[in-house]
Amino acid sequence: MSALAEILFGGLFQGSLYAMMAVGLALVWTTIGVFNFSHGVFMMLGAYIAWQLVELGLPAAVAFPIAVVVMAGVGWILQASVVRPLIGRPNIVLVVVITTLAAGSLIENGALTIWGPRSKQIPALITGNTTVGGVGVSLHQIAIIVITPLILAALCMFLNRTRLGLALRAVAQNEDASHLVGLNVTALYGLAFAIAASLAGLAGIFMGGYRFMSPVMGSDPLLKALIVVVFGGISSISGPIFAAYLIGFFEAACSYYFGLYWTPALLFGVLILTLMVRPEGIFASRSRGLA
Amino acid sequence: MNPILSVEGVTAGYGRVTVLHDISLEAGRFGNVGLFGPNGHGKTTLLRAISGLLQPKSGRILFDGQDIVGHSARAIVGAGLIHVPQGNRLFPDLSIADCMALGAYSPRARPHEAENREKVVKLFPKLAERWRQRVRTLSGGERQMVSIGTALMSHPRLLILDEPTLGLAPKIKDELCASVMDISRGGVPLIVVEQDIEFLLELTQQLYLVNHGAVATEIKPGESLDHGEIMSMYFGH
Repeated sequence: MSALAEILFGGLFQGSLYAMMAVGLALVWTTIGVFNFSHGVFMMLGAYIAWQLVELGLPAAVAFPIAVVVMAGVGWILQASVVRPLIGRPNIVLVVVITTLAAGSLIENGALTIWGPRSKQIPALITGNTTVGGVGVSLHQIAIIVITPLILAALCMFLNRTRLGLALRAVAQNEDASHLVGLNVTALYGLAFAIAASLAGLAGIFMGGYRFMSPVMGSDPLLKALIVVVFGGISSISGPIFAAYLIGFFEAACSYYFGLYWTPALLFGVLILTLMVRPEGIFASRSRGLA
Repeated sequence: MNPILSVEGVTAGYGRVTVLHDISLEAGRFGNVGLFGPNGHGKTTLLRAISGLLQPKSGRILFDGQDIVGHSARAIVGAGLIHVPQGNRLFPDLSIADCMALGAYSPRARPHEAENREKVVKLFPKLAERWRQRVRTLSGGERQMVSIGTALMSHPRLLILDEPTLGLAPKIKDELCASVMDISRGGVPLIVVEQDIEFLLELTQQLYLVNHGAVATEIKPGESLDHGEIMSMYFGH
C-alpha cells in the first residue's frame, strides 16, 4: 500500500513539473519549428525573480504572479533577439539550438553573478505536511499536483476555444497560409515563447518552494522535459502532457525499486527505445500542429 | 473605371535569381483578369509579390490607388486583397469551421463574419455537411472549396485565385468553375491563374500571357481569340 502510494504520489508530483516544462517546449516547437534550449534557464530565472521579489518584502501571492508575467516578457525578448532574426535561414533548427543554448548560458552565468552561488529557497505555496496513504507529503506538493492540471487545462481551453488560440494553432500548421488570412505571424511567435517562458517560470517557482535553488537548477528539468517530448511526441501539446505523467510514474517506480542511481539510465533507455521503435513519439500523429 | 490593382514595373525573385523582369499589368478596369502561360515563368511569384509574401526588388503595386509594396501581408489582407494560394494546402489539422473563423480574422472582415459564412455555405453546401471535419480528411476538391471559402470569409474586394482547378477530377472541376463564376457574379473582381484557357475565356474579360517573367501578350476585351491562336502563343510559333 505504502509503496503504491509513494510511487503514485511521486509520479504525480514529478509528472506535474515535467508537464509544465514539456508543454512549453512543445508549444515553441509546433508554432515556430525550433527547439528552445534556454527553456531550463526560464525555469531558473522565474524562481530567482520570485525569490528576489519575496526578498524585497512582497507577499508570495503578489510576487509569484509578477514573476510569471516578467517571464512572459523575458520569453518574448529572447524570441525577438535570438530566434526571430534567423527565421527563414537555412538550417534554422540547428542554428537556433546554438543561439538559445548561448543565450541560456549567458543568463545562467548572469544569475550566478547577480545572485551568487549560495542555494536559496522561496516560500512554499502552502506550508505544512500531511499523510496520504501512509506516505508523508508536504501540502506544497499537493498544491502543485492540483494546480498543474488546472493550468494545463486552461492552456488547452485557450488553444482550442479562443480565436487567438486558433491563430496559434494555425501558424503551427502553415505559415504562408497564416500570412494570407492576415495573422500577425511574428507576434504569434512571440506569444508562443512568452507562454512557454511563463509556464517554465511557474515550474521554477514550484520547484524553488521545496528544493534549494541554484543557477543551474533548470538543466535537469530541461533534460527530463526533452525525454518527455521525445517519448510523447512533440507535434502536439496533449501528447507531452500525458507523456510527462507517464515518465513521472516511471521515474518514481524506478527510484523506488532500483534506486536513484539507476533511474537516469533507465529513463535514457526509454528514450532510446522510443527513438528506435516509434521515433515520432507514442502519442504523435505524423504531422506538426497544436491540439 | 480605374483599375483596382495595377502592377508597375515589378522586378522580383528569390535570392540572386530574378523571376519577374519589370512586369506591368492592370486588373479591374474591364472585369476579371486571367493570367496564363507556361509553368515556372513567374505567375505564382507575381501573386506572392502582390499579396506581400515576397518583397519586390523594384517597382510599384497599387491597390485602390495606394502603393502596397513593403506593406505586410497582414496589412494587405486587411485592405481586402485576398490571395488563395496554389495547391490548397491550408491548415490540415484544423476543421472547416476553424478555417472559416480564421478567414474572418482581420478587423475588416470580423463584422461580416455571419453574413459571409452564410454565403460560403450557400456556395459550397458540401462544406456544411463536413463543418467539424479536419481539412486533411477532405478530398482535393473539398479542400479547394475550403481555401476559396476561407478567402471569401476575409470579405475580399479583390480575389486572387492561383490555379483553383489544379489536379481536380473533371466533374469536380466543372462544379468548382461554376462556383467561381457565381463569386464573380456576386460582385467580387477576380484575378485567376489557370491552365484551362476555355475556363479563362469564359470567366475573364482581359487576359495576360506571362512568359519569362514578363507580359508577353495582353488580350483586351473585344480582341477575342480562338483556341488555335492561344495554343500557338503558348508553344511558340
